Amino acid sequence: MQVYIARRLLAVPFMLLGMSLLLFWLLFLRPGNAALTGFGLVSPDQNASAIASLEEEFGLDRPFFVQYSDWAWNALRGDLGISLKNRRSVTAEIRSRLPVTAELGVLTVLLTALIGIPVGIISAIRPGTVLDGFLRVVTISGISVPNFWVGTLVITLPAIWWGWTPLWQYVRIEDDLIANLKIVIWPALTLAIASAAYIARIVRSSMLETLYSDFVRTARAKGLREQVVIIRHVFRSSMIAVVTVIGIQLGAILGGSVIAEQIFGVPGLGLLVFDSVVSIDYTMVLGAIMVFALMFTLINLLVDVIYTFVDPRIRY
Amino acid sequence: MPEAEEAATALRTDVIQPPERRFTGLLRFVLQQRLGTIGAVLIILMVFGATAAPVLNTSDPEEFGTVILESPSLDHFFGTNREGRDVWSRVLYGGRVSLKIGLATVIIAALGGTALALIAGYLGGLVDFALGRVTDVLIAFPSILFALTLNASLRDELPNIGSVLAAEEFLLVVAICIVFTPVIFRIMRGNVLEQRAAVYVESARVIGASEVRIMWRHIFPNLVGLLLIVMSTTLPAAILTESALSFLGVGVEQGTPSWGADLSGNNRAFFVKAPWIAIFPGLALSITVLAFNLFGDALRDTLDPRLRGQR
Repeated sequence: MQVYIARRLLAVPFMLLGMSLLLFWLLFLRPGNAALTGFGLVSPDQNASAIASLEEEFGLDRPFFVQYSDWAWNALRGDLGISLKNRRSVTAEIRSRLPVTAELGVLTVLLTALIGIPVGIISAIRPGTVLDGFLRVVTISGISVPNFWVGTLVITLPAIWWGWTPLWQYVRIEDDLIANLKIVIWPALTLAIASAAYIARIVRSSMLETLYSDFVRTARAKGLREQVVIIRHVFRSSMIAVVTVIGIQLGAILGGSVIAEQIFGVPGLGLLVFDSVVSIDYTMVLGAIMVFALMFTLINLLVDVIYTFVDPRIRY
Repeated sequence: MPEAEEAATALRTDVIQPPERRFTGLLRFVLQQRLGTIGAVLIILMVFGATAAPVLNTSDPEEFGTVILESPSLDHFFGTNREGRDVWSRVLYGGRVSLKIGLATVIIAALGGTALALIAGYLGGLVDFALGRVTDVLIAFPSILFALTLNASLRDELPNIGSVLAAEEFLLVVAICIVFTPVIFRIMRGNVLEQRAAVYVESARVIGASEVRIMWRHIFPNLVGLLLIVMSTTLPAAILTESALSFLGVGVEQGTPSWGADLSGNNRAFFVKAPWIAIFPGLALSITVLAFNLFGDALRDTLDPRLRGQR
């Protein structure tokens, strides 16, 4: 197992190299002055020498690989360059926004598990009943409803029905924890609906598979209470599926942060990506997406390691 | 010559049988997969609404009207929005955009992913390794972020390909394809390798079939069922991605009716005052995705009993 983890860890730098090369290539396809005109640093009729001096300032006139290796070398030391838009440090901007998205992500995963797992268990222990049928329809609807519509309804419907129109003014967690949670819970819930529905479906099907296996019959035969059988034996063996799915869903949750943060005005990394894409701030997009990709890669690695603890049958 | 006649009838029944069997198969699907059938009916309705949009609409979806923010009425089934555009007509035409981009994406990604999977499985070695690592990298990005970046960076690069797809729509197809092809590739490659090791492939090789023939005539037909399942789950995902990008404002051209775009931008300020602008496009999108999910589930149960109950 140590060999496996070492091998996976060893692959991470190569993954990051590949991902950054690809992104760099994609974002710098555009000629330098087009990047500058994109958001008004240069107007099209400005003279050539002004454009050239700006290109030189940002190093956009250099060959691709020179630009890339320069960026990569600095990135390794934690310097992701400066924003094309306002010349502020990309690293500093990301550092101030990362905790916001991390909080949203953690809260979303918690809600996902808290809603998804019980629903899945209830479905599985009463298969074929009206309740099970109802929950199946609810969960398949849950994975079908787009998060941006859910977010929209979360803001719109209470306002129409009860005239409930909070300001949706983000409060930083270090300023006021309660006020912060009162805001962040809504985007988290918005993102958690689809993931929870997904988890509930997985829990249901994997529990149904084990419900009729020999070890469960043994557990019942030796006189364990049904609750203990379900929680300690049946559910535990479907934990592996839950871990897998939370890993997969994290991609959707991280991506969903772009949408949820935009709807609810949460100033996290997702909103940064969105704003930077809209304003064509390439250095910022590059830095922010690489941080997302790094998080996603490391979490997937973590999920694979967790497997071995949850399911002792798996040996790498 | 009664024997000859008998043989002829036998032949004829042979000819007649297949459609009959197909019909009972359909009947069995309807009886056993009630949710799947509901999904199929909803899909048919949606496809009908989208294709017949020019007949069913009550006004031009992009035309500015004089009655703005009017609630649903007989003139405007789903009300009108801030520009006085008819929401019913926009929902119909929005379905066209979703269906067009969803289908184009799924077909291209499925063909591309499967072809690459066959090549990787067939050639093995370095090609397989290279394709596998590229896939690792492409899959490592959260999909919506990746599509967003692709869309932003390719925006000025792609040519207009004419009247079928507007430039923005073509760009959406390209971006969503790049996101989904690796996913399909990975699923199909695993299956190609599994099939390659099967006894029937070995026996085909023993009788001297070429590798290309084995891939195309023996392995590929065995992938079709899985491919259909993968396509049926990818289609709603592609539609969701398209609408999410349009929602974020990097999708279809401004003003083009799209379920995602109609839920965003300037419209948002009027949702509380005129909830129908927010409800109907979102509802249409949700029902469409739900329909494909219901149908996809049933299809998986029917085509691949091993996967029954998964997901």
